[in-house]
Amino acid sequence: MNTAIVETINVTREVAWLPWAVSYFFLIGLSYGAFLLSLPGVVFRRPGWEALSRLALLGALVCGLTAPVALLADLHQPGRFWHFYAYFTPTSWMSWGAFFIPVYLVGLILYAWLAFRPLLAAHGRSDGRLAGLARAIAYGGLESRRALVGAAVVALVGALLVALYTGVEVMVVRARPLWHTPLLPVQFAVTAFAGAVGLTLLFNRFGPARHDAVLIGRMSRVLAVSQLAALLVGVLWLVLGVSGLAPVHAEALAEVAHSPGWQLTAVWAAGATVLTLLLSWWRPGSGLLVGLLALHSAWMMRWTIFIGGQEVPKTGAGFYSYSLPLGPEGLMGIVGTAGLWVFILVLLTTVLPLERLASARPAGV
Amino acid sequence: MKSERNEYEAREASEAGRRGTPPGPPDCNVSRRNFLRGVPVLTAAAAVPAMAQTPATARHWAMLVDVRRCIGCQSCTMSCIQENVVPEGSFRTVVSTYSVEVTDARQPAGTYVLPRLCNHCDNPPCVPVCPVGATFKRADGIVLVDADRCVGCAYCVQACPYDARFINHDTNKADKCTFCAHRLEAGLLPACVETCVGGARIFGDLNDAQGELRQRLDAARGELKVLKPEQGTAPQVFYIGLDERFTGKVEGQGSLWKPRARHA
Repeated sequence: MNTAIVETINVTREVAWLPWAVSYFFLIGLSYGAFLLSLPGVVFRRPGWEALSRLALLGALVCGLTAPVALLADLHQPGRFWHFYAYFTPTSWMSWGAFFIPVYLVGLILYAWLAFRPLLAAHGRSDGRLAGLARAIAYGGLESRRALVGAAVVALVGALLVALYTGVEVMVVRARPLWHTPLLPVQFAVTAFAGAVGLTLLFNRFGPARHDAVLIGRMSRVLAVSQLAALLVGVLWLVLGVSGLAPVHAEALAEVAHSPGWQLTAVWAAGATVLTLLLSWWRPGSGLLVGLLALHSAWMMRWTIFIGGQEVPKTGAGFYSYSLPLGPEGLMGIVGTAGLWVFILVLLTTVLPLERLASARPAGV
Repeated sequence: MKSERNEYEAREASEAGRRGTPPGPPDCNVSRRNFLRGVPVLTAAAAVPAMAQTPATARHWAMLVDVRRCIGCQSCTMSCIQENVVPEGSFRTVVSTYSVEVTDARQPAGTYVLPRLCNHCDNPPCVPVCPVGATFKRADGIVLVDADRCVGCAYCVQACPYDARFINHDTNKADKCTFCAHRLEAGLLPACVETCVGGARIFGDLNDAQGELRQRLDAARGELKVLKPEQGTAPQVFYIGLDERFTGKVEGQGSLWKPRARHA
C-alpha cells in the first residue's frame, strides 16, 4: 500500500536564530582565522609575511570587535546578557562560549596593541589624522616581545576555544540532522580560515603592496590550500552520507537531498569553491576577486547552515520558506552589522593607516 | 533558586487566576454567565480525586492522546491560545492535519489528525542546552521556563525535536506548553484537555494507580507510542493510534498554511 500525504493544517515555525547569528558566526570565524594568519609574520617573524600578517591582524581586530554586537543582538533579551555570567551552566556549550569569547577578545586586543604599538607611535610622531590619539594609545610605543608572545598565547587559546565552541554548539543539536554531524565544526573552521585569507587579500588590495605579485601569490596559495581542504571535507561529508557509513551523515543528507533548492545550493557552493581554488592557484590577479569569492563562500556556508537549516521542519512535511525581513531582524541587522564593521575599520585605519600597516618593513622601523 | 522558582510558579498561577475571570460584556445575561462559570468547576471536580491520590511530591504529570478520538476541531489549539495568551502566529499546541491518499487503490483520501504539544520529556534536550539554566524539569515532570532568567537565545527552540518551543514576541522569551501548570495548581485540568471535544486528551498523574490516565495507559499497553522515540527523549505525552508514518518528520507535501503575524 502506497500513500501520498498532503499536510493540510500545520504551522510554519519561524526562524529563531536570526541573520544576526549568521553575522556573528561569520565575523567571529573571520576573526579567529585572521588571527591565525597574523601569527607567521607578527609572532614568528617569517620573512615576507610581515605585511600580510599585520593586515590579517587588523582584520581579526575589526571582525572580533564587531562580532559580539551581532551576537548580543541575536538575543531576544540583550539586556540580560549578564545572566550568562551570573548563571553559568556547564552542560551548555553556549554558556561556555560566553566565557571563551572574552578570553579570546582580551588576548586579541592586547596582542594587537602590543604588535601595533611601534606603528601607533610612528603615526603619533607624524602629522596625520588623529595623531594625538595614536600617540596616546601607543603609550610610549615600546616594543615588548615577551609580552607580545604572552598575549598571543592567550589569544591563541581563546581562538581555539571559540573555534571549538562555535562548531560544537551547533553540532550538538540532535533535533536538526543537518547540523548534527561531527564534520560541521571542521567545516566551520576551514571556511572561516579561507574567509580570513580572502579578507586579508581584500585589505591588501587597498594597501601599498597591491601590486606585489609575490606577496599576493603567497597568500593565494594559502587560499587554494584552504579551498582544497574545504572540498575534501565536503567530499568526505557526501561520501559518508551516500554510502551510509555514518548514519548521522546519511540522515543529514536525506533531509535535503531531494530538494531542488538544496541541490542548487550544493552545486553553487561546490562550484564557487572549485572556482576559487583554480583561480587562486593559477590566476590570482590582484587577489580581489578570489578574496571576495572566499568571503562569499564563508558567508554562504553559514547562511545555508543556519537559515537553510531552520527551514527544514522537525516534524512537519516539506520545507518552510524564509524570506528576509527588511527590519532589524533581517536586512537592517545585516546592513547595521556591516556598518559597524566599516566604522571600526575606518577608525582603526585612521590611527593606523593602511600604508604604514601594510608596508613590507618590519614594525617599528 | 528553589524559592525563586516557587515564587515564579505562584506568580504564574496568580496571573492566570486574574486572566481566568475576565470581566464579561456589560449586556451579558447574568444567569448564563454564572452557569458558564460553574462549568469548569464541575469538570475540575471530576479531576480532583485523581490528583488527591498521591502526595504532591510523588506526582508525575503526563498526557495520553487517543488519536482515534481526535476530530481535528482545534478546540485545544484555541483554548490554549486563550488560556495562555499565546501571541498570534505562535502555538503551544496544534492539531496537525494531513490528507492521506492510497495511491494504488481507488478510494477517497482520508484525513489523519495529530495533536502536538510539548512532550515534557523525561530526558529533555532543551534543558541542558540552556546557557543560563532558565529551563528546567520540575519534580512533577513538567518542563518549564523561568521567564525571569530566560535571555531569549532560542537555543532550546533549536534543541527541541518536536518544534514545541518558540520565541514569544510579546515577552521576547522562550515559550512552550506548561501543561497549564497554573491551572493544575488551582485543581483544574489543562485547557486543551478541558475543551477537547472528542475526549482525545487524557491528563493525569502517572503514579496514581487508580487514576484514569494510568488505567488507560495500562489498558493500551502494546499500542502506546511516542513521537520520535529514536531521539531518546523519553516523552511523557503518549499516543494511541499513532501511525508509524507520522511519528517523525512527515514525508509528504508541505504545509499549506503559514500564519503571518506582525510583531511590533
